[in-house]
Amino acid sequence: MTEPTQKTHLYEFHKQTGRMTLFAGFDMPLWYKGIIIEHMAVRKNVGMFDIGHMGRTIINGPESEAFLNYVTTNDVSRLAPLSAHYSTICNEHGGIKDDFVLSRLGPDKFLMVYNASNRKKDFEWLVQNSKSFKTKVEHVSNNIAMFAVQGPKAQQTLQKIADSDLNDIERFKCGWTKLVQTDVFLSRTGYTGEDGFEVFVWDTPLSDPANAETVWNAILKAGKEFGIEPCGLGARDTLRLEAGMCLYGNDIDEDTTPLEARLGFVVKLKKERFIGKDALLKQKTEGVKRKRVGLRMLEKGIPRPHYEIWKSGQKIGHVTSGSFSPVLERGIAAAYIPTEHAVENVTVMVKIRGKLAKAEVVGFPFYDSTKYGYRRQ
Amino acid sequence: MRALDYEVPDDLYYSKEHEWVKIDGKTAAIGITDYAQQSLHEVVYVDTPKVDSQIEQSQSIGSVESVKSVSDIYTPVGGKIIEINEELAENPELVNQDPYGKGWIAKIRLVDFDKDREKLLTATQYADYIESLEE
Repeated sequence: MTEPTQKTHLYEFHKQTGRMTLFAGFDMPLWYKGIIIEHMAVRKNVGMFDIGHMGRTIINGPESEAFLNYVTTNDVSRLAPLSAHYSTICNEHGGIKDDFVLSRLGPDKFLMVYNASNRKKDFEWLVQNSKSFKTKVEHVSNNIAMFAVQGPKAQQTLQKIADSDLNDIERFKCGWTKLVQTDVFLSRTGYTGEDGFEVFVWDTPLSDPANAETVWNAILKAGKEFGIEPCGLGARDTLRLEAGMCLYGNDIDEDTTPLEARLGFVVKLKKERFIGKDALLKQKTEGVKRKRVGLRMLEKGIPRPHYEIWKSGQKIGHVTSGSFSPVLERGIAAAYIPTEHAVENVTVMVKIRGKLAKAEVVGFPFYDSTKYGYRRQ
Repeated sequence: MRALDYEVPDDLYYSKEHEWVKIDGKTAAIGITDYAQQSLHEVVYVDTPKVDSQIEQSQSIGSVESVKSVSDIYTPVGGKIIEINEELAENPELVNQDPYGKGWIAKIRLVDFDKDREKLLTATQYADYIESLEE
């Protein structure tokens, strides 16, 4: 039996203006005007995504920090109130159950935002592992609307309708403010590589999305002078790939460790204990056998998931994410290959529809980070 | 004629794989239909066949890649490729902008069009077909 298709707070807007697609059980916009237009709006100006399909859970109670330190790989004790960090949840074998962003709302209160495809799995895992801690895990996805406003003009766009100075919220910080007189929680995070904010419209049930629509429409209006575009999942995917970010289910899964995925920066092995620590410590000591790398096509053709990677007449791996890069105007991919080949400028072959095409191993992000992305000059 | 939001010129034949063929004496031009280009959206590469290749009806002779996906080009007619649209290498978006005109893909010298035609649809039949796909 299939579950009924789910909708976000902004479904009516998408249905009227976008090309829809089914993603993780949600009826979502794939694009409105087109993936490339939307992608470039975010790289050059500003774009806005409805990300209400993502899972949102609040963890609250005196032992929340201890619980999260046990169930996630990053160091939660170093997360100050009104700060956010990227992290993973691993299984006992060090395989990634999910990747997510955790925000600390107060000393004992946290908000976790994770993948739509893992909504049920993560919540059950959190509930199950929280039993020996004094903490409460509450699923709030259906009561908080969530958008991402991304791009070099994101701050200017939101500032026009915000009640407070957004300079006060630095990258990976968060805070409360009002947008068009509506209470929102802002987190200076995203999934595009650009500067930008994720906007949480609190206390907005799916059954009464008026507040969410008000804020969404006000942002579109405020961003008009900067060339804002509403953006669908198509551009969300090409943007995160160009930035070198992982997509759960493609680039990472329960059989891939954060060390292989080059997410070692979110694994704090000095922590006393956490699920997956022993396996990850062992892998770190022994060295990883394969690594996630970027591939930039040197010939025509677009690498797609599952395409084989060849080197010196041998199959050495496969593509996990691949697309046309609107900024580079060529094919790019993320792939896992043996550590010995995972070196920048090494040439490999990608088997594209039966033909081998040349690609080179490159670092992340794919774009020139002096020209694009939040570090741009 | 039009079918839903798609243009279906009357003077062409169509395949169920959404290619069109325009007959001009002993040669034919082929391309992908408005329905196909709208489904693919934002074409970024067209992998065209080589001139002088001998091809059979329904054979894959290349591909059209968009940002999100890739589709084979199944030739609606058999014969020999006599010309390809060189402009698509530089401007693949012509397939989106003008699928039945500047976005043509190849020209083919026909071998047995009477036989090929048995598998093809007229404009009316193709219009009915794409309407049935959208139901």
